[in-house]
Amino acid sequence: MIMAEPVEPRESELPVPEEESTLVRRARKGDLAAYDDLVKRYQERIYATIYHMTSNHEDANDLAQESFIKAFQALKSFKGGSTFYTWLYRIAVNKTINFLKQRKNRTHMSLNDIDFNAEHDPDLMALISDNTPRRAAGLTELQKKLNEALLKLSEPHRLVVVLHDVQGESHEEIAKVMDCNIGTVRSRLFYARQQLQGYLNDYLK
Amino acid sequence: MNQDENNFESLRRLLALKRHEIPPPGYFNRFSAQVINRIRSGEAAPASVSERLHAEAPWLMKFLQIFEAKPAFAGAFAFALCLFLVFGTVLAERPDYSTPQPLLQTAESSSASVAAVSQAVLPQPNDQTLLASGSSSNSASSLQPVASMFGQQNPFAQQVSFSPSGN
Repeated sequence: MIMAEPVEPRESELPVPEEESTLVRRARKGDLAAYDDLVKRYQERIYATIYHMTSNHEDANDLAQESFIKAFQALKSFKGGSTFYTWLYRIAVNKTINFLKQRKNRTHMSLNDIDFNAEHDPDLMALISDNTPRRAAGLTELQKKLNEALLKLSEPHRLVVVLHDVQGESHEEIAKVMDCNIGTVRSRLFYARQQLQGYLNDYLK
Repeated sequence: MNQDENNFESLRRLLALKRHEIPPPGYFNRFSAQVINRIRSGEAAPASVSERLHAEAPWLMKFLQIFEAKPAFAGAFAFALCLFLVFGTVLAERPDYSTPQPLLQTAESSSASVAAVSQAVLPQPNDQTLLASGSSSNSASSLQPVASMFGQQNPFAQQVSFSPSGN
């Protein structure tokens, strides 16, 4: 009887979580190249979440870098109970919330530019081209008003809106990141949207 | 929930604007290199107290977060703590009447032991013969005057010898 030789699965066939766990294992041993891959994989999402929470590019840059550094230093304590992404998200969110609590009442916005695609988004164009007061406001003005309204929310409410309505995360993932149950996420999201509707009433008619 | 989603549809469309806010061009090309360089140089912002608590005592942070979310809990906890302290203080200052019996017993036993000692040390009326014999070497129980004090002879002291009546 001829035994078929076990075939090693090609790298492209490996499921993503396993690949991530391999990178994490290598990074835990001090392999900075592996950690560089992990940083590249999640940098945009981590940066975007922090940026939408702070409305300040410089703060978001510092906090995102510090989150990745802290995660690398704490990799030994990562037990694998959740995905690396959720664990990393938790570090970034805790760091951001602590930062926002410390800088309370010292809000300074430093907003990023709006990309070219926004001008071709029919929904956004509809918001600024109707015969309403919002017509006068260009995209930049709308962006400023939107960020000001977000900054009026408490940190947990802002985080839920950012993660769900901006980042497109699921309720389950948000619950894991915020270490609370899904019901809490839903109720916070409802309350936060109500608040935002009140603040942005002129732009939502 | 679908009703809520419909109610907030225009808000969600407005929030979509946030997705179009992008950092300066080339920002993410440099980002990971900056992070790795900072890790290599061992540079990191020192962890704040709250960050350390988050890492080392998450239960304490959760406890504090409950207080932060619901100040009524903080008030109730503080009230309970004050009540506990006042109760403890009152209890500590109150005289304890609960154990009089052992004290009396101790007093009785101590007086009994004192009596026993005194019986052993002090002469009893029945011991006249022993005293009279002068054979006791116990100077404390002896009624003899001290022959010399501070090395000087007492001029008024006289040597007296007793002899048993039978001899």
